[in-house]
Amino acid sequence: MALLATEEVVVRFGGVRALSEASIEVDAGRVTGLIGPNGAGKTTLFNVITGLLEPNSGRVVFDGVDITQRTPFRRARMGISRTFQKLEAFTSLSARENVLVAAEQRKAWDRSSFNPGEVAEELLQLVGIADVAEYMVGTLPTGTARLVELARALAMNPRALLLDEPSSGLNEEETQAMAGLLRRLVADGLAVLLVEHDMSFVMGTCETIYVLEFGRMIAVGPPEEIQEDPAVQAAYLGSAVAP
Amino acid sequence: MRTSMKPATIGAAIAIAAFIVFVVNTNRGLAPYNGSNIATFIVVGLSLGGIYAISAGGLVVTYATTGIFNFAHGAIGCFLAFVYWELRVNRNWPAPLALFVVIFVLAPLIGVILDRALMRRLRDASLVVQLMVTVGLMLTFMGVTLTIWEPNTGRSLPHFFEGTAGVRVDGVVATWHRIITVGLALGIAVLLRFLLYRTRLGIAMRAVVDNRSLAGLTGARPGVVSGASWALGCMTAAIAGILIAPETGMVVENLTLVVLTAFAAAAIAQLKSLPWAFAGGLIVGLASAFAGEFMSFKRDWQYAPDAIPAAILLVALLFLPQARLETGSLRLTRRTERLTKPWEAVVGALVVVGLVVAWANGWIPWVVGSHFGQRTPVWLGRGAEYLVLGLIMLSLVPLIGWAGQVTFANFAIAGFGAAMYAHVGGQHGNPIGIIWVVLMCAPLGVVVALPALRLKGLYLALATIAFAQLADSLLFRHPAIINQVKTGSLYKPLDLFGFHIGSDANDRKAFVIFLAIAFGVLFFLIEALRRTRWARRWIAIADSPAASATIGINLTLSKIVVFALSGAMAGFAGTMLGLSYGALRVDSFPLLSGLPLVLLLAVGGVRYPIAAFLGAIGLLGFPALQEVFHNASWLTSATLIGPGLAAISMAYRPEGSVFYAGRDLAGLLPWRRDAREEKAAAVAKARELDVRRDEIGDLGLTRPFTPEKVAQLDRVLGVADELTRLPAAAPEVVRSGAAGD
Repeated sequence: MALLATEEVVVRFGGVRALSEASIEVDAGRVTGLIGPNGAGKTTLFNVITGLLEPNSGRVVFDGVDITQRTPFRRARMGISRTFQKLEAFTSLSARENVLVAAEQRKAWDRSSFNPGEVAEELLQLVGIADVAEYMVGTLPTGTARLVELARALAMNPRALLLDEPSSGLNEEETQAMAGLLRRLVADGLAVLLVEHDMSFVMGTCETIYVLEFGRMIAVGPPEEIQEDPAVQAAYLGSAVAP
Repeated sequence: MRTSMKPATIGAAIAIAAFIVFVVNTNRGLAPYNGSNIATFIVVGLSLGGIYAISAGGLVVTYATTGIFNFAHGAIGCFLAFVYWELRVNRNWPAPLALFVVIFVLAPLIGVILDRALMRRLRDASLVVQLMVTVGLMLTFMGVTLTIWEPNTGRSLPHFFEGTAGVRVDGVVATWHRIITVGLALGIAVLLRFLLYRTRLGIAMRAVVDNRSLAGLTGARPGVVSGASWALGCMTAAIAGILIAPETGMVVENLTLVVLTAFAAAAIAQLKSLPWAFAGGLIVGLASAFAGEFMSFKRDWQYAPDAIPAAILLVALLFLPQARLETGSLRLTRRTERLTKPWEAVVGALVVVGLVVAWANGWIPWVVGSHFGQRTPVWLGRGAEYLVLGLIMLSLVPLIGWAGQVTFANFAIAGFGAAMYAHVGGQHGNPIGIIWVVLMCAPLGVVVALPALRLKGLYLALATIAFAQLADSLLFRHPAIINQVKTGSLYKPLDLFGFHIGSDANDRKAFVIFLAIAFGVLFFLIEALRRTRWARRWIAIADSPAASATIGINLTLSKIVVFALSGAMAGFAGTMLGLSYGALRVDSFPLLSGLPLVLLLAVGGVRYPIAAFLGAIGLLGFPALQEVFHNASWLTSATLIGPGLAAISMAYRPEGSVFYAGRDLAGLLPWRRDAREEKAAAVAKARELDVRRDEIGDLGLTRPFTPEKVAQLDRVLGVADELTRLPAAAPEVVRSGAAGD
């Protein structure tokens, strides 16, 4: 059974259906991709999963438990972690403090013995921002600040990690490093749900890809199938983002 | 989005209804519920409600179209009502001409100037800065009005068509003034509705709130729109001010605080619904008229009618839907700072204590001289009082500076602490009583915040203003809290290690030194607190509530802790405030006295404990200035105008002077290379941000898309390289970048 799943989630904004019966399954130990043109509802689905947005109907299931009614912080404590499409780092804390605050927070539910300071240090090294650890995040370039967000999300030692366009703001080399990092993380049993516009990144890292268009899942499958899928090609034709 | 009534909501509604019935029943006046009394109540209620509705309508339109809540709305109305009085009564202009000049010339002019000079700069500012600037405007307008029109002169503004009979309905006279009021309210409601939904300008106004950059791309001109909406807001403020002045009298404080009724109506309208703002105004007006006609409060509660708008505001907050955790509204800072090291905090605390002790002992030559801050018993008394105000400011640093929770209630909480201390130990000089007061004020700090804890920050500011008003008109006026008969004998000097600490002339030096040490210790503790996980958590909540929740932070619990801490500190400051006043009066803690404290702290830099000390010195500067100028009459309102103007300057220097001075000074120190590097990084970032704002705001409107502009945009937006090679796709990219996903 999938670690994280949404079941027929519907979200309406006024008269607009942002999501229509969107179902998705995210397994532990692999990267699941979620792609679609701008405005397809990818970030909306992330918000539903993490509890920032209450769906009009449908369920969110994590580890066999229905979490649709749980508050965001309770879901986080169960092991769901995310980054944001538009930067949501703590801009008036230093990069180190950003990671530290999440690691310390983990003490609230994780009984294993760990030192938040050491966890933060390790993660800063891991994502490669140790040299700017003492800078306030508000003064860092956007790409670096996104890495701070990633380290912060990892500091919670999550079981499922939702990444919203992690490569935006990164250069080619950094994107490669990010892909390598993701492979390492899923090898350790993490479930990753990835929203991404960089198609080579998506096709290179994901084992399963879901395609959203106007709030509907129009396709699901491994990368090779998705690339050949006529519905997907139609969805992307005329849009700014060509695969 | 679900609107189904939860059982808790229904329960709360029933409880509040029962409480209202109870209050109404126990305070029945002499007037029976007969036809003519009810008719009077309705006529008075509708006309009051009409005025409140006009004011609230303008407030809501300005907020809904510019995103800035105008705390100065009432003060602007008050100022313009005085201008009208000057023209109509003092200079004897005909009413239509005076009205035209005030409502159609001066009011829009003020609105447009405010928009141009201040409000546009606040669009991307933090809530703290937005609030400080408009509250600063409120104090400035009040101070200017008090300076131009000397308050001890009696003035009155006649009702419209005073002396004519009006209309008699069922034995009740509806004066023309009241009929005009109701008619005007209806007319303005219809007009605003028409303007917002049926005209091009109005539709643009509504579009701008939803998305500025998108509105820019569709051809609306955001600048014109926000100017128009401020002009409109000021016009409604002027109309409401002129209509209400004959009822309240030409008293600056009263006219300004009429705005609380508009706040209540705006809360009922959830800050955005125009029809509900008008309904809210009518509810407040009818409630006040009902109390005036049918209720008679006993002596202990005689000021209760003043509290009606504040009470309605608090009740309205209870029924507002929970705020969604918004994303994508992150404010990028230009601030750089590093944590204060423990030894630096120790040095800072010692310098503060050392300075004050040296002054109190007369060791600083230039203030021992003939006047200006000379160490006389008067100035020692003032020194004690302002150090206490510094303590209150210190209590705000974790709350406003770190957790971003803007409160105006801490002066009232300190007042409550002062009053309580007189009951639990202050009357014997017993230091243990201080602990009791601290334990009482910590939960009070939480209670004040409770109605707004689950709502967005602006509501908290409104709730705390409402609490300060409630405390002023209910708590402090009740003999069980402050007994007027026993004033003067409330406090004995505090007996500590053989020193007498109190407001008697002989005890003042010891008092000042004691306060300086207390301030130094608290200063150090707060600096130490900044390095703990609690402070990190509070700052995280202020920076991004959504991200905080998604890393497992319990927002409500974390906020409760910081409110309790702040309340406890304000309570301690309160005991000292009581000691320094020596005697309390029922009007010792007016709402308006608390505002300059918050403003001056913010001007110094609300995140930095040292700003509390600087703020106290700043406050002390105003009486000193008066002494220098031999109590010149134009300086009498300096205590309002000074902090007001200082706060307004935050539109240009949002981070507070401690930050700017600290950054520049640290950069001069040879061993602080980090400071220079960070400043350079911040400047570079600021340049990037400026490019972003200009380019996105104007591109396609006033400037054509050129290849290099598109390339620049892509760089700024961080769009993938492959897209930039397709010029045809570029406008699409701009659009999606602005709209988000």
